[in-house]
Amino acid sequence: MSTPLLSAQTVAVSYGKIEAVLDVSLVIPKGRIITVIGANGAGKSSLLGSLMGILPLAGGSATFEGEPLDRVPVEQRVARGLCLVPEKRELFVTMSVAENLELGAYHRPRSEAKSSLEMVYDLFPRLLERRKQAAGTLSGGERQMLAMGRALMAKPKLLMLDEPSLGLAPRIVKEIFGLIGRLRDSGVSILLVEQNARGALRTADYAYVMETGQVTLQGPAADLAQDPRVIESYLGISGGDSSCSLPSSSVGATNP
Amino acid sequence: MDSTIALFLAQDGITNGAIYALLGLSLVLVFTVTRVIFIPQGEFVAYGALTLVGLETGVVPGTAYLTLVLGIAAFCVDLVRSPDGRQPRVLITRAVSDLGLPLVLLGLSGVVAPANMGPWITVPLAVALVAPMGAYIYRLAFRPLAQATVLTLLIAAVGVHLVMLGLGLVFFGAEGYRATPFTDVSLSLGVIDLGGQSLWVLGVTAVLIVTLWYAFGHTLAGKALRATSINRLGATLVGIPTARSGLIAFILAATLGAISGVLIAPITTIFYDSGFLIGLKGFVAAIIGGLVSYPISAAAAILVGLVEAFASFEASSFKEVIVFTIIIPVLLWQSLRSGHVDEEEE
Ligand SMILES: Nc1ncnc2c1ncn2[C@@H]1O[C@H](COP(=O)(O)OP(=O)(O)OP(=O)(O)O)[C@@H](O)[C@H]1O
Ligand SMILES: [Mg+2]
Repeated sequence: MSTPLLSAQTVAVSYGKIEAVLDVSLVIPKGRIITVIGANGAGKSSLLGSLMGILPLAGGSATFEGEPLDRVPVEQRVARGLCLVPEKRELFVTMSVAENLELGAYHRPRSEAKSSLEMVYDLFPRLLERRKQAAGTLSGGERQMLAMGRALMAKPKLLMLDEPSLGLAPRIVKEIFGLIGRLRDSGVSILLVEQNARGALRTADYAYVMETGQVTLQGPAADLAQDPRVIESYLGISGGDSSCSLPSSSVGATNP
Repeated sequence: MDSTIALFLAQDGITNGAIYALLGLSLVLVFTVTRVIFIPQGEFVAYGALTLVGLETGVVPGTAYLTLVLGIAAFCVDLVRSPDGRQPRVLITRAVSDLGLPLVLLGLSGVVAPANMGPWITVPLAVALVAPMGAYIYRLAFRPLAQATVLTLLIAAVGVHLVMLGLGLVFFGAEGYRATPFTDVSLSLGVIDLGGQSLWVLGVTAVLIVTLWYAFGHTLAGKALRATSINRLGATLVGIPTARSGLIAFILAATLGAISGVLIAPITTIFYDSGFLIGLKGFVAAIIGGLVSYPISAAAAILVGLVEAFASFEASSFKEVIVFTIIIPVLLWQSLRSGHVDEEEE
């Protein structure tokens, strides 16, 4: 196999005394969807934050396209093609949809940004309709589309998505997972963090399961979907085609 | 009070209000981008004014040396602190901006001051001498505290204010000065004469506000600055270097402060410590705008100017009291409306 797009070795993240991530190693090959699933507080968002460079590493190291990422500031990671859609979206709420998208391409030449903008409006026609509206007035689903659209404006090589299905109607969730598959087909690698284990395992190529800061299981997504431990903890017993399944421990754990 | 006096006071109030508007805008800009409540804003006004007077009277102003000293300090601190700061390319850029620029400005002052040149030369040079201080002060005092709370940043701001005040006394002495007006033309509008300097103040302020409005609303760099102020994490994630946004905000604040200073230097006598009170009035305007709204702050600034002008006529010994009293109902209303003040981190 050629050099992976991103590889993390024994990464650790801590908040003061709280150790959120302990010795996590993962590999993201080019053109694949990798998913990380796990209960609330397992450390998934912390892992993404540390890979993006917004949280300091307490241990371990990461490389992107073979080059070490330590000491690379966030803006340079973005310029190299690493992009995060965070759990809380972090939109520019008092700016218009169009301005949010424009800023997504902050580090790219204006002419390229223009063609990306057309691509994003093609993917999310709703954003085109709302382009003059302030981002803060969008619905939850529209915000999610805007967050993804803004990230795509940066032309990422690796797109890290933190719970893209959060708070969305089942039909939209399906669309989002469909879109993630199409993005992969167009050459973007994806690191997908999800509570919706069923949808994530169906979309991804390879999966990691995180528990209390550590990777406890990993394997091809299709295999993990059959694994009894995963079925018991993350998929429940229902075999229906509902795309919404949450581990029982996560009740009430919505984000503001 | 007859209508001529009222018109005259209104002219006075609007002229001063325009200055307060520039200062209020600077305060809003600095606060929203960096969360620093920038108490020393007024010092840039005094520095700008007194630097101009120095250049006019043939003295190389102390600010020319101060800018150089601050530049050297910022250069050395970055050399020690920043990990990638020792690459040749970065070193050369920093040497130019931190050492070259202040040296050139010092050299220019040495030529311009004794030569008795007109305002077309001395005014821009005075602004140019003060503006880089914004960048150096940000790098020395505030960038290391980027993660600190608003209160810590405020304490640092008070510290910077006191240091700048002391240096002002050292450089310019305790005496007050007035600069010569840019022009002696005045515009006669029926009963009153609009002074030439007032026209300059209003014209320059209008041009600056329109320019800033355009830059913030229509250029990518301006939008990046706004984005940083709306959501710092979001801005970081799209690749905006937020530390540079802070730097730009401080440079703009110092520039606007210095411009305010040179504009009012011919209208008011400026002492080394006059800046604080002038800045405070800009601050009242910024507070009325909740430290976030540019248009409300600008309108409030004009109001502050008008209240001050009429108060100085009707009850001159209570002038300042009346002006600062405006802030009380505003604060009450704001605290009733929001219930609590948001503090991002803590
Ligand atoms: N800023 C912080 N300060 C202190 N502790 C934190 C902070 N952020 C996260 N933690 C803790 O770190 C642990 C991991 O949090 P993280 O957000 O990474 O979990 P997660 O897997 O993304 O959970 P979820 O599925 O609920 O989003 C949790 O125990 C959390 O309480
Ligand atoms: Mg999370």
